[in-house]
Amino acid sequence: MGDAILVENVYFSYEDLPVLKGVTLTVRTGETLAIMGENGAGKTTLIKHFIGLLKPERGRVLVFGVDTREASVAQLARRVGIVFQNPDHQLFAESVEGEVLFTLKNMGYPPDEARAICERVLKLFELDRYRNRSPYSLSVGERKRLAIAAVMSYDPDVLVLDEPTAGQDFFNKSKISKLIFRLKRQGKGVVVVTHDVEFAAQVADRVALMVDGRIIREGPARDVLTDAETLKRARLMMPQIPTAVALLEAEGLKLPRKPLLPGAFYLEILDLLNHRWVGP
Amino acid sequence: MALAELKRVRFRYAGSDHYALDEVTLSAERGEFVLLVGPSGCGKSTLLRVLNGLVPHFYEGDFEGEARVAGLDVRSTPTHILAKHVGMVFQDPENQLFLSSVEREIAFGLENMGLPRAEVKRRVREVLKEFNLESVKDRAPYELSGGQQQKVAIASVMALEPEILALDEPTANLDPLSALEILSLVTRLVNEKGVLALVVEHRLELALRFATRMIVMVDGRIAADGAPRDVLLKSGSIVGYPPVVLTHLLLKRKGLVSDGVPLTSEELARVVIGKWATRYS
Amino acid sequence: MSRVLGIFRFRRKSTPLHALDPRAKFALLVALSAASLALSDAVSLSALLIVEAALLAVARSLREWARSLTGLSSLLILIFVLNFLTLPADRLFVAAAMALRFLCLTTAFSIFFLTTTADELAAALEASGVPREYSMMFTMSLRFVPSLARDLQTVADALKSRGLELEKGGLRERLRNYTYLLVPLIVYELRRSIMVAEALEARGFGAVGKVEPYVALSLRARDLAVIIVSALAACAVIWVVASGAYGTFLDQVRACFPRL
Repeated sequence: MGDAILVENVYFSYEDLPVLKGVTLTVRTGETLAIMGENGAGKTTLIKHFIGLLKPERGRVLVFGVDTREASVAQLARRVGIVFQNPDHQLFAESVEGEVLFTLKNMGYPPDEARAICERVLKLFELDRYRNRSPYSLSVGERKRLAIAAVMSYDPDVLVLDEPTAGQDFFNKSKISKLIFRLKRQGKGVVVVTHDVEFAAQVADRVALMVDGRIIREGPARDVLTDAETLKRARLMMPQIPTAVALLEAEGLKLPRKPLLPGAFYLEILDLLNHRWVGP
Repeated sequence: MALAELKRVRFRYAGSDHYALDEVTLSAERGEFVLLVGPSGCGKSTLLRVLNGLVPHFYEGDFEGEARVAGLDVRSTPTHILAKHVGMVFQDPENQLFLSSVEREIAFGLENMGLPRAEVKRRVREVLKEFNLESVKDRAPYELSGGQQQKVAIASVMALEPEILALDEPTANLDPLSALEILSLVTRLVNEKGVLALVVEHRLELALRFATRMIVMVDGRIAADGAPRDVLLKSGSIVGYPPVVLTHLLLKRKGLVSDGVPLTSEELARVVIGKWATRYS
Repeated sequence: MSRVLGIFRFRRKSTPLHALDPRAKFALLVALSAASLALSDAVSLSALLIVEAALLAVARSLREWARSLTGLSSLLILIFVLNFLTLPADRLFVAAAMALRFLCLTTAFSIFFLTTTADELAAALEASGVPREYSMMFTMSLRFVPSLARDLQTVADALKSRGLELEKGGLRERLRNYTYLLVPLIVYELRRSIMVAEALEARGFGAVGKVEPYVALSLRARDLAVIIVSALAACAVIWVVASGAYGTFLDQVRACFPRL
């Protein structure tokens, strides 16, 4: 695990309106970071700095040691893949496999290798049976998977997903979580911009809360997602499990650990019922 | 006769050979908050659009079966008449708010109905007050937050005083707190005005607590229709169990809790506290 | 791009110009445009520009206009250079006039759009007898121009992040790369237009033939005054230009310019 992206005290304005007001953040490989906050807090603006789509007015962004002001977007994109919220903003090829091949060609893969990788990636994302169909004939969830597949095809070290679960059904959300776990096992870095606290509870190792262009809290998911006060400032709520835990605590039933997910909570409740933990 | 009634409706979009709606039968009454869920492509958005006639008038195709809304036959009634009875709110505020002030936006539907100006002004004043939008009435919708925009969208359709409110993923782009505000607003309209609300939503952990009824659709058919708790138990594998429900199911498997499905953290906490109390008090 | 479009975007302010009936503002626009086209020397056009700047000052919109000048400057220079290079004589004189004319025209339009909302414009069109569908079409287009600009940026960002090189490379290569943006942009905007159409239908658009507009436009004394003054001023300029007097004036100005 190492430092992949270093954001150092970045300021950025859009049409004279300050959007980022001194943001410092580290993205590491082997770790999943969730950047959370309400719309307009600056999350998307921040991630655009990761591959130099936007350059900071003050401060700097280092991507694997390279200052984003000194490299082109295409170069930075080689190591950091971004999938934006609306897949329709980037799908244009005549076929599903054409989408993937396009990215691979841009990244400099020779045609034979590109075809082999494309086949593998389409199978992995369960899109191989659509390979000759137009991307626009796929359902919304499938188009999202295709956009992710096209970016993952060239194997970047960091994957950034902007609101991956917005408007997605349960089936697609699980697929996306599974993908993130697999990437983590492979040692990749993952950044998820989201306001879906349940999803963050499932996949995030660390959480950064953004309000009005600043990061107001950053730390392990377990700590940040149980901080109801700060979450509220970011227009978020605690996920269901920590909310239930807080209610138990209010009745004097203190749990030794702070579970975020059903499995862990279930084990804590078993302990509670078997051993009558009672706090002061 | 029910307020909204579909009998064996089948619909296929023009140029498609797959049925988006396949033998859909349902009836719904005033004062219901119906949550409509299902995997993407299951037909829930199509179903909503049958209510105000966008299907089959705007989206052409093969329509079979009967659909009646407020006594009107959907197939032979144009959308602008059905729009008086069914207010539809869409996912993206940017594409449904067109005018340069909140006040104008609310007046728009009333204007379209050909009502005299004095009447329109009166109703706009009432709506602004009812939805607490007086302070922003001169602001442009795009200046407002996402949650406020959706509130304006709802107010704009409610100005026409429809009996049915159809919402297609209204909270998809909203943060959780704003999402709860919108869903609470819809509940208030259901309870205070007897509106029939049909809401397509994916975020069950937020929406379940408000629903009086849940319908699950799969592949153009209704797979389940009934009380939210029952339907969730039956179809959780398709639509996903919210975390508190998963916890409860795990505890149930161990024999620690009995039947019942908690829809909120409060309900789960109460069950656990209750169990603890019976053991240790 | 957004810099340039900025001069056509309405900013809500409380100024005498903003408060005018849109038809009066339109009369002003027509008069200023007519003058810009009729005059053909750098001196008169500069005077016109000063008049327009004064109007912008009244509308408290000088800053927005000034900011967009940086975006327009490349076009201005292009016009100047093209004229300068292609004319047989009086290059400096004509090139300067052409560049100034362009600036006067865009500023005239900018004055109008900075102070008029899209639906004020629609109301004006409808009050002048344009059917509601057409005025709606017009205002919808205006209303979505900023969205289009933003979508263009988003599509470019998305493709750049997949390795499409839009920043470096030869002109031909870059132009070809830019064509990749067309398909997703067009598809996206088509989708958007369907969503907007759905929403319009859902709010009963087209239910009745004649609609009583919510905003009642009425011409007040000051609106009529603006219309009359604009009409008179435009006529005066055109009359002067058409008369011989302008010809002699042009010669005098031309003589002041270095013979190039």
